[in-house]
Amino acid sequence: MTPTSSDSTLQDSIRRMVDRTIQRGVNGFRYVTSAPPAVGLTPKDVIHERGTLRLYHYHPIADEIYRVPVLLVMATTNRAYVFDLAPGQSMVQYLLEQGFDVYVIDWDPPSQSERGLDLDDYTQDFLPTCVRLIAEDCGEPDVSIVGYCMGGVLSLIYAATHADGPLKNLACLTTPVNWHGMGLMARWSDRRFFDVDRLVDTLGIVPADFVSASFDMLRPAQKPAGRLRVWEQMWNDEFVKSYRAFDRWGEETLPLAGEYFRQTTKDLMWDNKLYNGTLVAGRQRVDLGAIRVPVMHITAEHDHIVSTEASAPLLQQIGSEDRTELVLKGGHVSLIAGPNAVRRMWPALSTWLAERST
Amino acid sequence: MAEQTQRKDPFIQLQQFITDWERRIDGVANRVMGTDEFARSANVLQNVQLGLQRAFLDAMATHLNNLNMPSREDINILGEAVMGLDQRLARIEQQLQKIASMPDQAGPTRKGPPRTKRPPSQRGMSSSAGDPS
Repeated sequence: MTPTSSDSTLQDSIRRMVDRTIQRGVNGFRYVTSAPPAVGLTPKDVIHERGTLRLYHYHPIADEIYRVPVLLVMATTNRAYVFDLAPGQSMVQYLLEQGFDVYVIDWDPPSQSERGLDLDDYTQDFLPTCVRLIAEDCGEPDVSIVGYCMGGVLSLIYAATHADGPLKNLACLTTPVNWHGMGLMARWSDRRFFDVDRLVDTLGIVPADFVSASFDMLRPAQKPAGRLRVWEQMWNDEFVKSYRAFDRWGEETLPLAGEYFRQTTKDLMWDNKLYNGTLVAGRQRVDLGAIRVPVMHITAEHDHIVSTEASAPLLQQIGSEDRTELVLKGGHVSLIAGPNAVRRMWPALSTWLAERST
Repeated sequence: MAEQTQRKDPFIQLQQFITDWERRIDGVANRVMGTDEFARSANVLQNVQLGLQRAFLDAMATHLNNLNMPSREDINILGEAVMGLDQRLARIEQQLQKIASMPDQAGPTRKGPPRTKRPPSQRGMSSSAGDPS
């Protein structure tokens, strides 16, 4: 009897399952016995550090670069190495290859002596200082800023309060403006129930556990499902490597300065002042209409942290004529890192910046 | 045929099961956690925890004070002050090195590749504009 094609397909399938089961065992052992993967490997210099603030400059790798440098501003809740997870999975490396001069603002956990930092410190001191230092470092008077999530909010406030400043282009990645559209986050921090003063006055610094629990609770099954998925995919080296890098990043959530958290809760979450145009920073009203530079806003279709309701008003409120909106497939994190980002977001951002960086 | 084989593959079925399970759990949890009752209960719990923490910290600080010993907060403040001094010294050292290696004329502190790159759209235009034919 000659084997039919159905028999051979079944044999292939069984062989694949056996191979993968063996591979799972081998890789599983390696997984539990090895250290987490190294991250943030692209060569860089720390050109400024002050308490919680760090400014990196990445070594250019192109023979010829665009005139205007790019500053990436990380959200205050997480480490900036998500921009530089691993070779081939690094947005920084991609931008360097495309010919950009890249700077990154990263955050260290704020110390108890920094518990009093507020939005003014971040937007009227840290950001302007970094912009000034970049100008000194590279010799160019202007800069493009790319802000991610809360980093986007800080960049927006900076841009609105420094309308005549050196900002050339502003790209916001999944940046909330209408904080009443923040879904469960807004519900949990409802002023009727959430005593933010007690939290901040007791702890000074809002612990990283509190911050990461808030994110985890938005999708409580995500972590256990991720663990099951990684076991099932244990035969796939690339998947495991990528999962471990993301997992490490997720575990290294940062604590927040108490006053900054209090102000974010009261002014943004409760009173929606950024959206209403009543937020005050640097003794001036934050009017998003004052932003006249080219603005790009990239959001994710399945973002469970910053919903469309929260992010969509950004482009309606700014005063720029050159404004671009891009809604991409993916979630809050897969927008900036991982295979989706490599295929979709990085090329789109790079093309947009390139046209405006000479 | 391939579809039939996929249906028989237990690992593909497991993947599907995980995805469905995750969606179901998240959906139910989000409905429960999106209520006022949940927000109220979670915050009551947190306030109790914070109250206990405060009381414990205060009691411990009093005991340590009576024993003439520094509290953890005192040690933290001291540690941060030392680290602050260390960072400040490192910054001063960095500035001094920068000044020492700086050329006399004003300009960027770092030399790098030329900043003359053009975007692909302009590169096409400039090459055709410069084309003698």
